[in-house]
Parts: sequence; structure tokens; C-alpha cells
Amino acid sequence: MIKNFYPKIKTSINFIFLLLLLTTGFSSQAKTAKHTSISVFLADIVVRGTVQAPGNNGGPADNMAGVTVLQKGTNNGTATDASGNFQLTVPDNAVLVFSMVGYKTQEVPVSGRTTLAITLALDENFLKEVVVTGYQEVDKRLFTGAATTLSGSDAKREGITDVSRMLEGRVAGVTVQNVSGTFGAAPKIRVRGATSITGDNKPLWVVDGIILEDVVNISNEQLSTGDPSTLLGSSVAGLNPDDIESFQILKDASATSLYGARAMNGVILITTKKGKVGQPVISYTGNFSTYLKPSYRNFDIMNSYDQMSVYAEMARKGWLDYGDVVNRANGGVYLKMYNLLEYADGSETPGLYNSPEARAAFLNKYAQANTDWFDILFRNSFQQEHSLSLSSGTEKTQMYYSTSYLQDNGWSLGSGVQRFTGNVRANFNVSDKIQFGLITQGSIRDQRAPGTLGRNSNPVTGEFSRDFDINPFSYALNTSRALTAYDENGNREFFRMNYAPFNILHELENNTLDLNVIDLKIQGEFRYNILRNLKYAFDGAYRYASTGQEHKIHEDSNMPQAYRAGVYPENATIRAANRFLYTSPEDPDAQPVSVLPSGGFYITNDDFLKSYYLRNSLDYNLNFLDVHTLRLFGSQELRYINRINKQFTGYGYQYDKGGVPFIDPNAIKQAVEGNFNYYSMNMGFDRYLAYAANAAYSYAGKYQLNGTVRYDGSNLLGAARSARWLPTWNVSSSWNVDEEAFMQNLPVISQLTLRATYGLTASMGNATNSSLVLQSGSTLRPYLTEVESAIGIRYLENTELTWEKQYETNVGLNLGLFQNKLNATVDAYNRDGFDLIGPIRTSGIGGEAIKIANYADMQSQGIEGSLGAGIIQEKDYGWRTQLTFGYNHSTITNLKSEPMIWDLVGANGGPQQGYSYRGLFSIDFDKLNTANGSPIFINEEGEAGNNVYLQSNATSYLKYEGPVDPTINGGFYNAFNYKNFTLSALLTYSGGNKIRLNPVYKNSYTDLDAMPSDFLTRWIMIGDDGTPSIIEARNQSALDGAYPYNAYNYSSARVANGEFVRLKQVSLGYNLPTILVSRFHLKNMSLNLVANNLWLIYADKRLNGQDPEFFSTGGVALPVPRQFTLSLKMGI
Amino acid sequence: MYQPQMNKKFKYIFLLLSTLTASSCKDYLEQAPDQRASLDSVEDVAELLVTAYPQANYITFTEAMSDNADDKGAAAGGGDPINRDPWYFEDVRGREEDTPDFYWNACYKAIAAANQALAVINTATNPEEYSGQKGEALVARAYAHFMLVSLFSKMYDPATAVSDPGIPYVTEPENVVIKQYERKTVAYVYEQIEKDLTEGLPLLNGSQYNVPKYHFTTAAAHAFASRFYLFKKEYDKVVAHANAVFVGGNILPNLRPINDPAYRAMEYLNREANYTEATNPANILLAETRSIWGRSFASYRYGFTFDILNETIWSANVAGGQWGQQLYGQNLSLRMPKFREHFVRESQNANFGDPYNIIPLFTAEEVLFNRAEANAWLGNTAATLKDLNDYASTRMIVSDSNPVYDPETLYITTAKIRSFYRTTSVQQGLLATILDFKRVEFLFEGLRWFDLMRYNIPIVHTTADNATTITLGPDDPRRVFQIPQEATLSGIALNPR
Repeated sequence: MIKNFYPKIKTSINFIFLLLLLTTGFSSQAKTAKHTSISVFLADIVVRGTVQAPGNNGGPADNMAGVTVLQKGTNNGTATDASGNFQLTVPDNAVLVFSMVGYKTQEVPVSGRTTLAITLALDENFLKEVVVTGYQEVDKRLFTGAATTLSGSDAKREGITDVSRMLEGRVAGVTVQNVSGTFGAAPKIRVRGATSITGDNKPLWVVDGIILEDVVNISNEQLSTGDPSTLLGSSVAGLNPDDIESFQILKDASATSLYGARAMNGVILITTKKGKVGQPVISYTGNFSTYLKPSYRNFDIMNSYDQMSVYAEMARKGWLDYGDVVNRANGGVYLKMYNLLEYADGSETPGLYNSPEARAAFLNKYAQANTDWFDILFRNSFQQEHSLSLSSGTEKTQMYYSTSYLQDNGWSLGSGVQRFTGNVRANFNVSDKIQFGLITQGSIRDQRAPGTLGRNSNPVTGEFSRDFDINPFSYALNTSRALTAYDENGNREFFRMNYAPFNILHELENNTLDLNVIDLKIQGEFRYNILRNLKYAFDGAYRYASTGQEHKIHEDSNMPQAYRAGVYPENATIRAANRFLYTSPEDPDAQPVSVLPSGGFYITNDDFLKSYYLRNSLDYNLNFLDVHTLRLFGSQELRYINRINKQFTGYGYQYDKGGVPFIDPNAIKQAVEGNFNYYSMNMGFDRYLAYAANAAYSYAGKYQLNGTVRYDGSNLLGAARSARWLPTWNVSSSWNVDEEAFMQNLPVISQLTLRATYGLTASMGNATNSSLVLQSGSTLRPYLTEVESAIGIRYLENTELTWEKQYETNVGLNLGLFQNKLNATVDAYNRDGFDLIGPIRTSGIGGEAIKIANYADMQSQGIEGSLGAGIIQEKDYGWRTQLTFGYNHSTITNLKSEPMIWDLVGANGGPQQGYSYRGLFSIDFDKLNTANGSPIFINEEGEAGNNVYLQSNATSYLKYEGPVDPTINGGFYNAFNYKNFTLSALLTYSGGNKIRLNPVYKNSYTDLDAMPSDFLTRWIMIGDDGTPSIIEARNQSALDGAYPYNAYNYSSARVANGEFVRLKQVSLGYNLPTILVSRFHLKNMSLNLVANNLWLIYADKRLNGQDPEFFSTGGVALPVPRQFTLSLKMGI
Repeated sequence: MYQPQMNKKFKYIFLLLSTLTASSCKDYLEQAPDQRASLDSVEDVAELLVTAYPQANYITFTEAMSDNADDKGAAAGGGDPINRDPWYFEDVRGREEDTPDFYWNACYKAIAAANQALAVINTATNPEEYSGQKGEALVARAYAHFMLVSLFSKMYDPATAVSDPGIPYVTEPENVVIKQYERKTVAYVYEQIEKDLTEGLPLLNGSQYNVPKYHFTTAAAHAFASRFYLFKKEYDKVVAHANAVFVGGNILPNLRPINDPAYRAMEYLNREANYTEATNPANILLAETRSIWGRSFASYRYGFTFDILNETIWSANVAGGQWGQQLYGQNLSLRMPKFREHFVRESQNANFGDPYNIIPLFTAEEVLFNRAEANAWLGNTAATLKDLNDYASTRMIVSDSNPVYDPETLYITTAKIRSFYRTTSVQQGLLATILDFKRVEFLFEGLRWFDLMRYNIPIVHTTADNATTITLGPDDPRRVFQIPQEATLSGIALNPR
């Protein structure tokens, strides 16, 4: 039987040896074992035995499968089976060699014995670790760059469905900011801070060696806008978290060198699981989660009683006068009351008698309402996630299949997700020279979100606004608790928004955004071992992703009704004021008309991605004189990406009438006259070619020297060949000090490696004008008869255009103490960014007053480290801990942009020379005007006044608050185990940044606004010194600044510190005893109870419930909820 | 033993690698990254030339700096710098719409489009098919440079033009971030303008435009030439070009019928729209400009007041009648319906965006005045009087109660001129008449400034409280607008202050 399998085993032995070669770079056994002839030996005796290895963390010894057993000096051998048993026929005086990657090779003389019990010792120098760069696998001991490996099982956070969020607090130097918690919205991830002033600053995601292209390119800044496209921001949202074998985060120039001119922002590499040799293993994971509703206890919003008393003050101050309010666009209780005073439809009695008592009673009813919008709009929803995988394999073929299903009923009304993933990975060892593999990964996503339009940034008034926003979270925070969702009869109660009736529940049902994503990747790999030490590899992938957003706005919802308000039903005042109505330019004195007399909207937005990736590489290994290891690697790659975006606005779609559109031609005419296209289709084409070569030399495993050059070419800079190609390079070295003889006297230190890197990395800026860029459009003239197509010069040719670049120096240290029970890694780096793209004002004589050119510089420094320790490693109990720490500081050393105040004071901050990458600036708040409580600021001339012109370029007087991005961040992870129980907790912390408080102040308020309790300390009478007053309506026009209260939102009075400590996760697990499990014919079974995002332990008090990470921007953005998950795992 | 085999394999692999890469490499990266337009055809170049006109407005600063602006006092507000600074004869702060910097940038942007078009035409294999476009590019380039030299350099004076600093005359596309330029002299700039104009004008043809009123038609180019030669003081050429604008040199039918009862009966918004419509025959060349002039000019603190109204429209005139122009508004908001705003919203539902005004760059009225002025200088008194009376026939009314033009009583004669202006020189009287008529005609249109400059007329501004009077004398260096500061990056000296 064994003989029958022999050739197969031999193949695997060769394979393992080759792997050894590949990973360790040397192996004396390999040289002796590799023979081409097959010989049959006389069977003197049959030796049977078991091979064991010491358990993890001091646990019991495990039987070891796959250990190579070889008769020394021959190629007679076998490998242990799944139970660690082997059987081999050898002469009775033979010496058996037991070897296994990561373990010390042991030679055992048979000496006539027929049973052997072998325990292999861990090879501490080996540590079993390889660094996967996506191009190569490098023995960690020989790796010279800064990289962090995180195994999938370590990183996995049950209940967290998007893998990009799993790196939070686990990897030093990687910041993960949850700017939105909605599924599909990527967190803001930075590896070692920002490198580009105007670029994306997103790390490169690589899955199984293939760069994962974004379907829609959403910059880190755009992630916090809440726009619908942010739901496509996470490129890894289609991955099943259970499929992930490991993460590898490549941080410095050496680690990322093979990615060349794309790697300036770091690389996050994901390796998915492969099939394993042995019995089929079927695993099931089921996660059952529930979210907690947000509660007013955590937010600082006035109750309805206090709110109504503020309204009463507003009424006294002339903001809620009958004449103004009754025909106002938006209104709540007062508007309703005034409308009820009318004799509607010829009735003999008004809805409400106009007596002080009747009005007081009416208002009092709402003062007592105290509506809990969170309770109405959110639910303690249920999310289930099922993942099933099967791994099976023989020496020739290994297969991994998985599928998963996620269903999230949605935390808020109007939201929900379903995701299906499927993954098949097959590896074939055709012969000892040829291997190939195939991966097919696919995912389908169906998501629903509240319907939303893009956000507008209005620099005139200093407001971000979103028309028809129905984001439940923003609604709950910004809508008065005096309003009610239901009237006393239990019917939905409508108030007025945009001149039309509005009820949030009605709206969430009738204004929806449906998102669907289909993503399919097929990947193949081919390996050919040309020689024992020369290997050729081919990798190729094809990916097709299609996403569709359907925004369905039912004719009954607010937006279409706003397009008709004032016309149907007729109301002359509203008709004149309603900005959604249309006046033809041919007849400027005519009455405005509605362009949407019937029906709603049907707005679609589709994105398609098609990409190819091809790579050829050669890997050559040479060991000579036992101590020299040389590895040469060369590769060539091609990337091809086509993107298409289509948008379409359908007017007058009648959802209730069988979907027949009712199109008023004025709708199209209005759009065209306003220079808006009611449909569009845009295509993007990315093409890349790259050539790379790497040489790595190691002397006796002590001294390593590594060098890489890469030559990148891309079409993205434009047609000129001058800019198209860019070489990057780096050199690095490491010294494994622990290998030195003098270290052998220090047994405490089990590992000490010093590393150093210097190199050039680059990335593509957002300028594409190495040749002239022209843009087609139409002229901005009022009459369609006078409009013509035009081609404008978008960007002049810039022959000096090049890539954004930086020199990076990195020094690092890996330290292992007490047999690596304590591990520490520290890296410090300096980055000199140059040729960065920024706007620069020119003489204008060439025809472009502000050019986007490579001239800006930025410097950043940082230090990061992680400390891991198995503090207690006993048989029945243990305690592991990991602490990560990252610090990054950046300074823009050269930037000639001229931002306006509005560009710098918002929550996202802005870049300015001499400050950090994104600095938060504030209008300098001085005091409240003693006469009326309006805010007074110090302007650029040092004068005090109300006036702030937000579009002004005079920004030098603004107060610098600090960086917007955290400069410090990290995590603290602890895991305890006692017998079958495990308990783990992850704390994350972040700080060093400043946060802009949510804008809550306005010049004028309506009876819809909800106010935080800051308003309870508002200026009411002379002598008060709290927060700004509610100004009297007649005084408002006399303020010399147009919008001082809006400006106050962006003043030094509205800033908080960003530091926080969060208990991100607590998990309690229980492994069911094997005896119990086996009764169910299972191999193992475990239960985990996980709480995610549990507790914000510390944050600045000034935030008053505002999440320090979340940007409350409305749209589709929701904060990360508190979540409890029960996780069930079974293995068959 | 392995050696030969290895070589063979190496060869094979490298062959594979090189075929995979070399074959595709060259063309592979030629793909444009987006759907950027290219200039491959006559149509493309024609579309590019749509942007060869300065899309900026000079009126705000030329009007405020002229004698058409008075201080309305603190009741009219603090004064927007773009309105206040020119009135105080100071360099205008800011760079946004309606500032000299913005206009400078827009002119050079237009020039860049023209130069890019010419670069394509010059390398085209079929240049003859592009002749109309070449003509437009040359004339448009000449126009933008002409406006620049008229605002940012001294007015053309044959005696000093060879030494007065000009503005950079750009004839090729810029292709580096910061390029060095030379100002040279006003005479050089005029030479270049004339060269482009005379080369380009004959190439224009009648049928090359979709919306002719926004392009240099032959008529518009002649109108431009009449202004150019007027500034250059070559009066016979002015007459020749002005005559070529309309068929038979007959300008009268194209003038705006201001005193016509039908026109006077129009509603404000309709009249405002009518003033800059392409269908209005008086408009020879229109341009869309990003500007807040139309919405702001009436409310600006430094602008048209009753004092100026009394000095111009309401004062006695040489014809002896009344002006038919109607003004609207009150003390702080006097206005004429000339500028209809086209508001381009930031997004379809937004209530903020960019305002655009259509500005008439050349009108029938200006051509008439150019011809009249040239004829006056040439001593053709009868021709001048004919033009002036043609003009008056569309403007003057007997009185508000009898709002019609009466040629019997309102006809302008040399005798009337001599007596009205108390001069013995008919030529001086005619020129004075022309300047006065132009001042009224082009109220709120900024052209008064150029007349004040050409005739070296001092300008006096007095603050509303009468505390300060500032005078811009004939040789004051502030008569020349300041070049943007950043021009120094390109080696351009700023104007003296």
C-alpha cells in the first residue's frame, strides 16, 4: 500500500523541500535528498511511529501530520498521516531524518527498534513565519522591511461583516476611522498617515496577489460625505470574513517595493484559505447579531418641553409670526397651528379657534409629546450570517469551497443588506515541476438605504445641506422632539417640508435607495519549476463587477410633492417662493409652473468595472558555500481596468400607475437650461505596465541585503510619454543579532533583528495633463437657441508632470524574549514627500490661473510598535496580550494653494503650508455681543465684529486647532483562556486630533429644529455669557455679517479634542468538550458571545454624545452601532 | 551538465516574457484615461474656439473708476471691495469675478484656446479646410490682447507707444508650469493685434457658426477693427471698417429702438432679456461672463446716482429733446434693464451657484459712434451729423408727455452744437457730442472708461460726506490697472504705482 503511494509522497517531499528552499533559502537536506532515480530497498524491518510537536502556548503535545521521514543518505521516505503516524521499511541500522518546516530537523538512529515516538522541537530561528508580499514569500528572518502579519482567526471579529474594519487597533501604524458604519461604506484607513496632499491616501488592497481595483474611486475624504456612492467605498465588502487566512500589512518602502509606484500609501494584503491535504474538513460558522437602538440618553437633545420653551422665545422674537410661518417651506407645530386657524374647504369652523387658550392647549399637547425618534426610526434588529466551508485535498489536488450568506434586517427603518459569497479555490500539483491553481470568487449584494441625493456644500452661508435628506440618524438628532410621528388617532401625522407634507415614516417607505452589487473574480496561477532553484510563475485574474443604485422616489413622497407645491394645490405665495418650480427664460414675467405635474422620480446610477491582471515572474535561488544565500526575482505585470458610470434621472415615473412615466417636457428643458444632464455615461480607462527586479542576499542568516528596482508605466498622466514611466527603487538590510556568537550567552534574548530601509516610493497624483486636457460641454447661456457645444481647455499641457514621490527611511527592531514569549516590534520612519500635486497660482498668461502641478512637499515622521506577550501559558489557563501603538506627524512644507475660509474650517479641515496634512482651522471667536448675544469674531484686521466672509482668501488669522486625523492610535488586546473558556477584549484608542462639533447654530430657526442642551445656557439677557442667543428677527438684518451664527459653528468655540478610548470588543467563548461534540458526529463546536463597539470609555466631554469618529453628514451614513453577536462554530 | 538545458529554458522564458510585453507595450499605454475631447476635425476646432472669448466682465471696475460712479454714502452699505477699490483708484483686492485679475486671467484663457486651435490648424494636413477657424482664432486672439493692452497698459499714443510697456502677446500654447514672458511695448502689441486682425478678418466666412452672435463674424470683426483703429487713431480705416459692418454701411435700422412706443411698453424683465438677446440686431458680438454685475450694479455703494442722472440724462442735451431711456429704482438702486442673470445652480436643486451675465462686446451703437468720431476727426462733418441724428432718432423724445422723436425740433445741427457747447470749433463740438451721447448710451456698460482714457480726461471722485476728493489726473499712473501679482513669477514687471 505504501509503495503504491510512494511516488505521490515523493512528489510531496520534493514539494516540501522546494518550499523549504523558497522560504528558508537554504537546506542542507535538500541537496542530499534530491535524486532523480527511484530505487527499491530490501525491507529489513518495518518501523512505525508517531511524531508529535509541543502544543501551542504550553498546551499538550499534538500529533503532527505531514512530517517528512527520510532514511538518511537515500531518498527512501514517507510522511506522517493526519494522526502523526508513519510506517517505513528501512535497514535496521538506518538513521531516520524527521523534518518539517518550522521545526528543528531531528536525526534518530533506528537501532533495530520498530516503534518510535518522536517529538520535534520548534525551530526558534524559523518561527514558522513567512512574509507574503504578494509577489514572493519571504522567510521572516530574512525579510528586511516593515510588515505586520495578522492571521485571519486572530483578526476576525464575529459580527463584523466588512473585513476592512477588522484591522482596527490590531496593527501598529494603521489607523481605521469608522466615519460611517453603514454596510459597504469603507472606514477611513491610513497606513502611516497621509502621503499625498490632494490624492486619495488609501492603501492598496491586494487579494491573493492580485491588486483589488475599486469599482468607484472614493477618496478618504469623500468617505465622510454620506453620499450614496460611499456604499461602494469598501472594495473588500464582497469578501467572506471566514475565507481569510491572513492579513499582511506592508508598511515601509522595502516591504512595498514590488508594488512600486502605487505603494506610497502602504499595502494591505489578504490571503484567502486554501484546501489542505487530508480528510475533508467541513466548517460552519453562524453569527446571530442584534443591534441596540441609539438612545437619547447618549445624546444631548432637548426634550419637547424645553424645546417648546425655546420656540416660545422664538415666537416672542418674531420668528414664528403667522404671516411668515404659514407659507414657509418647512415648519412644525406652529405652522400646523396657523394652518388650522383657517376655515378650510368652506367649513364653518376653523380647525382651531384663534383664542389664546385654544392655542396654548394646542401647543401644550406637543410640549408633552417628547417623541423618541430613535425608538421610532431604529430597531433592535437582527442580523444573521452563515458561512459554510469545505476543505479537502490529496497530494495532487487541494480544494477549498465556501459560501456565505449575510442578512441584516437593518438597524434603522429603510435599510437592510443581503450578501451572498461563493468561493472555490483549487490547487493542482500536476507534477513536481508544474502546479496550477484556480480561484473563483463571487459575491452578490442587495442593499436598501434611505433615498438620498448628493450633499451640497454652500460656501455662501456656511452650511452643508442635502435636499430631501431622510437619513434616520440625522433626522432623529435634528428634528424636534415636540413633533410627533402619529396623531392622537394613531394615524401618521404630517408636518411640512419643502412646502409639502412630510412624515419620516411615510418617507422612509416611499423614498428608497436600492443598491445591488455583483462581483466576480476568476484567478489562475501557474507555477513551473524550470530548475530546482529557478521557478517561473504566472498569475492572472479577470474581474467583473457591476453595481447599480436605484433611487425610487414615489409620487407620494416629499420630493415630487415639493416639485408641485404651490401649483397643485394652488397657493400664490408658495408658488412664487418655491425654488423647485420653473420659469421659462422666454417668459421671465410668467408664473412659475411645475415640471412634475404627476409621478415621482426614478434615478439610477450604475457602475461597471472590468479588469484584467497578468503577471509573469521568475524566482531564482542560490545557496553556495553553505552560508551565502542569493535570491533573484524578476517580474513583469500588466493591469487593465475599464470603468463605466451611468446616471439617469427619470422624471414623472408613476409608481402607482403601473410604472408609466408622465413626462413634462419642461422637466428636460429646465435641466438642459440649467446645464444639467438628465442622463450621463462616463468611461475611465486605467492601463499599467510594470517591470520589477529584486535581489536579496543573506550571509549565514545573519546579514541580509536587499535591493529592488521597479519601472512603472501608466496612461493616467496623459498622452505624453515623458511623464508616463517612473523608476522606483529601494535598498534595505537587516541584521539578525541573535545569530551572533556573542548573543548565545544571553539566552533571555531569543530574537533580535535590526532593520533599515531607504527608498523611493511613488503614487499617482490626480493630475492627468502631461498633454493637453480638453473638456466638452455646452455654453452657459440662458436661451437654448443660443447654446452651443464647446470644447474648453480643462488643463494646459504640463510637460513637467510626474508622479508624486517620497523618500522613506525606516529603521526597525524585532525583539523576542524568553523563547519568544514576549515579542516586540518597533519601527521609526521619516518620509520626505516631494513632487506632490497641489494647486498653484500662476501669472495666468498661459491661460490657466491655477494649475495643478507637482511642486508641493510634505514631511512626516512616525514611530510605531507592538508588544505581544504570552504572559501565562499553562496547560489549563493562559493569558495573552498585545499592545499596539502608532504615532504619525506630518507637516506640509511647501504648498501654495489659496483655500478660502470655508475650505479650512469644516469637519474635514484643509491643507495649509506649515501645518499638518489636514488641519482644522477656526474662526477666532471673541465673545458674545452684550446687546443681543450674537457671536463676535476677530477678523483678519484684528477687528471685532459679526462679519465673516467664508469665501475670503484671508485665512492667515484663522486659529489653528490641530490635525483632523489622529496622530496617535493603537489598541490593547487581551485574551484569557481557562480550560474550554476564552475571554478576550479589545480596547482601541486614538488621539492627537481635533474635532469640529456638529453645526447646530443658525441665524434663524424653525419650529422643526431640535437643539442640544447648549441652548439652555444661551444668551437671554444682557449680562449672560453662555452660548449665542436666538436673535430677534428684526435685529437679524442689522447684523453686519450675513451669517454670523453659521460662522459660530466653525469658530474656536466649537471644537473638541479627538482623543478617545473605546472598548471595541469583548468576546466570551466556550469550546464544547470533545466527548460531547463527538456524540453529534462533530469534530468540534464552539460558542462565542461577542459584544462589539460596546463602550466609549473616554472622550472629550464637549462632544456631548457626538461620536468622535463619525461624521454626521446625513445621506446614507450611520454610526457604528452597539452590537451583540452569538457565534456558533462547528467542524465536521 | 545542467548548463545547456538551463540556457534553453532561459531563452524560452525570456522569449515568452518579451513577446508578452513588447508587443503590447507601445500602444497599451496610449489609451487616454478618460473621455477627454481631442481636436481632430474642423468641428472640434470650431468648438474649441467657442471658448476663445474672454468669459469675464470688465464693467464692474471700469464703471466704478469712471465718472459714472458716485458715493451713495453709508446707507448703501460698506462697499464691496470689487466696487469700492476702483472707485478709490486703488488696486482691486480679490481675484474672483468682476475684478481686473479675473478679467486678465479670462483674456489669457481665451488666448490659450485660440493658440491651441491655431497649433492644430498649423499642423493639419488640410489647412485650407480650417480657414474660417483660423480667421476666428486670429481675430479672437487679437481682441483679447487688445482688451488687455487697453486696460493694463497706457492708451495708445503714437508718441510714446514704442516705449510704454505692453502686455505679453502670446502666440503659442504654454506647456510648462511657470513660463517666462515679456511685456515688450504698446506699439509692439498693437502691431501684433493688427497683424492678426488683418490676417484673420478676410478668412472669416458667413456660414461657419451655429450661434453667430457669440463669434467673430465678418461684421463683428469689422466692428472690432473700427474700435481698434479708433484707438490707434487711424480714422480712415475706422470709417472703412465701420461701413463694412452692415450692408451698405447702413447702421440706423440696427439701432435699439429705445424711444419706440412698443419698446417703452415692455415689462422690465422682458426688456432686460431683450437687451442681450442674440436676435436683437443691435448686438454684434455677445459674450457670456461669470459676473455678479447684473444683480449688484444698482445696489453698489459706488455707482449711478441722481447727481449723475441730473448731469447726464436729465440735463439739457444738444438735440434739445429728452432722452428716451427709462430708469428704474430709487435713490440707492437706480438701474436700467440691461443685464439678465443666468443663474447656473451648483446642482439641480441647489439654491446657490454661479451667476452669469451676457455682455454685449460690440453693438451697432458703438460702430455708429466709432464712425462718427472718425469722421469728425477727418473733418467729414456732414457724415458725423448724419450718424448722430440717426442715433438721436432712436433715442430722443420731445418730452415725457409727448414721447416721440420729432425731426423738426430735435435735428442736430452744427449751429446747435456750437451754441450748446459754446465753441467755435465744429470738430470739438462734434467730439463733445459724441462723448456725451456715448456716456448715456453705454451707462452701466463700462465703455465710458475707454473714452476717458483716450481723451486723457481727469476723473474726480468725492465721498458722500464731501470730506475727501480724489482726482485721477491725466498722467496718473493709476489710470492703468494693476497686473496680477503672480505675473512676477513669469518675469512680468508690475505697473508703477
